Amino acid sequence: MANVRNRSRLTGPAAVAAALALAAAGCTGGGGGGGTGAGGVWEECESDPNTCNSGERADGGEITWVVSDFPGAWTTVSPEGGSVYTLQMLSGIVPSTGQWAPDGETYEFNMDLLAEEPELVSEDPFTFSFTFADGAEWDDGTPIGADDAIATVKMSTSDEEGWCEGCRSRQPGIYDDVDEMEASEDGKTVTFTLKDGRANPEWRGFLDAHQIAGGILPAHLAEEQGYDLDEPADVGAYFEWLNETVPEYSGGPYTIVEGDLETQVIMEPNENWYGEVQPTLDTVIVQFNDNENSWVPALTNGEIDGGNPAKINDDVIEQLRGMPEVSVDVGPGASWEHIDLNTENEWLQDVELRRAVFTAIDAQEIVERSYGTAYPEVQRKTNHTFAADSPHHEDLFGDSPQGTGDAEEAARILEEAGYEIVDGTLERDGEQVGPFRLRATADQVRQDSLQIIQSHLEEIGVATEIEAINDLGGVLGDQDYDIVQFGWSTSPWFLINPGQQWHSGSGSNFGGLDVPEVDEALDRMGTATTLEEAAEYANDAGRLVVDQAYVLPLADEPRYSFVTDGFTNIRDNRQHSLRATYNIGEWGTVAN
Amino acid sequence: MLVFVIRRLLVTVPVLLAASMFSFALIDVTGDPLADLLVQQPPPSQEVIQAERERLYLDRPAYERYWLWLTGIGGNGDIGLLQGEFGPSVQGPAFDVGAEVAARMGVTLRLVAAAVLLALGLAVATGVVSAMRQYSVVDHTLTFIGFLALAMPTFWLGALIKEAGVWANGQLGTTVFSTIGASAADTRGMDLWERIADAGGHLVLPTVALMLTGYAAWSRYQRTAMLEVLNSDYVRLAHAKGLRRRTVMRRHALRTALIPLTSVAAVTIAEILAGTVLIETVFQWRGMGTLLVEAVRTSDAYVLMGWLMLAGTLVVLANLAADLLYGVLDPRIRYE
Repeated sequence: MANVRNRSRLTGPAAVAAALALAAAGCTGGGGGGGTGAGGVWEECESDPNTCNSGERADGGEITWVVSDFPGAWTTVSPEGGSVYTLQMLSGIVPSTGQWAPDGETYEFNMDLLAEEPELVSEDPFTFSFTFADGAEWDDGTPIGADDAIATVKMSTSDEEGWCEGCRSRQPGIYDDVDEMEASEDGKTVTFTLKDGRANPEWRGFLDAHQIAGGILPAHLAEEQGYDLDEPADVGAYFEWLNETVPEYSGGPYTIVEGDLETQVIMEPNENWYGEVQPTLDTVIVQFNDNENSWVPALTNGEIDGGNPAKINDDVIEQLRGMPEVSVDVGPGASWEHIDLNTENEWLQDVELRRAVFTAIDAQEIVERSYGTAYPEVQRKTNHTFAADSPHHEDLFGDSPQGTGDAEEAARILEEAGYEIVDGTLERDGEQVGPFRLRATADQVRQDSLQIIQSHLEEIGVATEIEAINDLGGVLGDQDYDIVQFGWSTSPWFLINPGQQWHSGSGSNFGGLDVPEVDEALDRMGTATTLEEAAEYANDAGRLVVDQAYVLPLADEPRYSFVTDGFTNIRDNRQHSLRATYNIGEWGTVAN
Repeated sequence: MLVFVIRRLLVTVPVLLAASMFSFALIDVTGDPLADLLVQQPPPSQEVIQAERERLYLDRPAYERYWLWLTGIGGNGDIGLLQGEFGPSVQGPAFDVGAEVAARMGVTLRLVAAAVLLALGLAVATGVVSAMRQYSVVDHTLTFIGFLALAMPTFWLGALIKEAGVWANGQLGTTVFSTIGASAADTRGMDLWERIADAGGHLVLPTVALMLTGYAAWSRYQRTAMLEVLNSDYVRLAHAKGLRRRTVMRRHALRTALIPLTSVAAVTIAEILAGTVLIETVFQWRGMGTLLVEAVRTSDAYVLMGWLMLAGTLVVLANLAADLLYGVLDPRIRYE
């Protein structure tokens, strides 16, 4: 790791004096600033997201990369392990068949692992296969093949399917659709057949880095541990063993040599790595650190080299931008903020009122004031499912006044629907409408956003009471809100998200939308055989949701990453849970 | 004295029991352990949520859960304080709450022990000096430092000390003081001395921060107590008898003046534990403090209960130790 770095020209006493002054003024050092999305070695990333900061690597070197929270387990299939932090920790260890590149449009198969691109064998029944390369091996020399894929899928299913007894898969979803799994005689090809009537236009990504296992887990260790993967109970036991055991296996460029779930994992190159690009760093340390205020001093002190936090922080970004040997990249991430209405509220069950509420809210103002300091280019999101640069994106709000902040139009909608604004208070049949409980988690960005929404709604006579949420899951699950702001994560694989958010039968349809036409459009997504067809249905459903004024998207929440000079091939992949670690095997120190 | 100790320990049982009931009730109403799971992306199935609910015994009423937590009767073998099981964690079935609390306690004790010893030593020394040189420049300076440390929030003090450490490293041109963690990220290949130096480099800044929070209050108590004793008749008598000033101070004045500090120090142990929550967060130590923060954030009820019971027990024991120390310091006190 590098030695101490110079950080601006402040002397220690001056820094302490400045800190005293700032604290006395109740100031955090933020404000002002702004700046562009990408800088330093990442200057080209805006125009060339997939290959920016590429270069020759020198042999050797060490990097300490910060992951901004703690992984919950040693696999990502379990509920406690199901986070981006666990995924990032295991990047470089768990092999996958492919992943989306940083531009969000290019899908790259892992042709080190695969012998050929996956094949769609039949559309009815929906059948597809993956063939693994002959040279693909785990670090102990065991070939990676069909057995591993089958074991991974079994552990990802729910108990009811009968493959596994006791597997606590957090999202069985697409895997519960599997009817048959078959390994070829040489063990190199696995064929999956889905249940009658089921299809999966995202079948190419069935074993990729975006799925709940983050790729493929080893099967051969089960036998070593005394488990028979043909026995569902043993599959369950193996699930738990993998979940609680530091991985000594690796099918990627690095292998974990030491680690725990509370401080860090230390990785060294996998001697048996079969990939074309060999790792050059001697040591990669993935460090877990949830105190964002500690990153800048640690970076200055040479204790860390970079990171890709899960949340944006204006103050930290401004400090990082002020460091001469540090590159910072900010851009839209894979989580979108939105405002939801509770359709089961006495008043908000009226769709006209919901339309007026969303029309009165100025979405662009909210996103600019929320994220504009760190990322001035931020734009209002106009499609629930697809980012603005997605090939499937359609502006679903182009013909709708929702999110424009047009109070006059909102008042007109209300008037036509029989509402009246009397002395600044919205009434219907002489009774006050609301007041509504306006809720979000206690973080500053969302609380500021609520205040803006409150002021917008005041213009149409709607009174709101802001309440902070300590327990988001509980509040959403109990429908303990009238208007709420929170975030959903997303991915270029989009198939499951709309159904979970809007289908009347979904436990995550928190606001209780129950519209048969929406359900039908979502059901059609489950039978689509191509991505284009599925995207069309997703957009159909989205249009209906706009018409129902159920969810108002605000923005793809910006994400940032930072790295000190001297490293090459590191770049953020904000559409991917792995973020910058998506190509960890290619990281290196810059060759002179 | 043994009878006194046993009697005091027996009295602590109902106290801790009542505290555990109160804590359990508060934890139960302030958060849902499944909250994080419910907002996970993609959303988990209802079956998964139900299974977690059952694993964490959330399908049972609160009073039954408390009884389970205390006795383990009717549980799955992973719960029951009286059986040595602290209960399941939201961090999965493999997470052993008892082992985790013990491991984290070791880390925190390293920090607290160093900070308390330094703070007590400094507080006694500066308190005595301040009292002996009342209203002198030295007294005013020490008073100012004490009030400054007393007035500064712990997290802010920690951040300032961290900045100072980074600045010092910059001046030295090498990393002497570390700002995150209890040790370097990679200690493989270090020999014993390198490991000790590494641990020391990580210990200095958080220890100083934590020490100052305790020292500030204690030094003021020590000064006041010392002043009171110095103005008492028996000290005047000791002087009048012709005893040497040092003997009077050490044998007569200081010993008596330590009694109030002993009481305060015992109570302040709880405050220092609270201080570790902030200091460990600022310096990213994985001790009891950060365990508490993580447990609160994830509404990890049984981890919280384990933490609170351990902290409660420590406070009770610290008070007991203080009571016993009175007997050592004050010859008038006898335990029967």
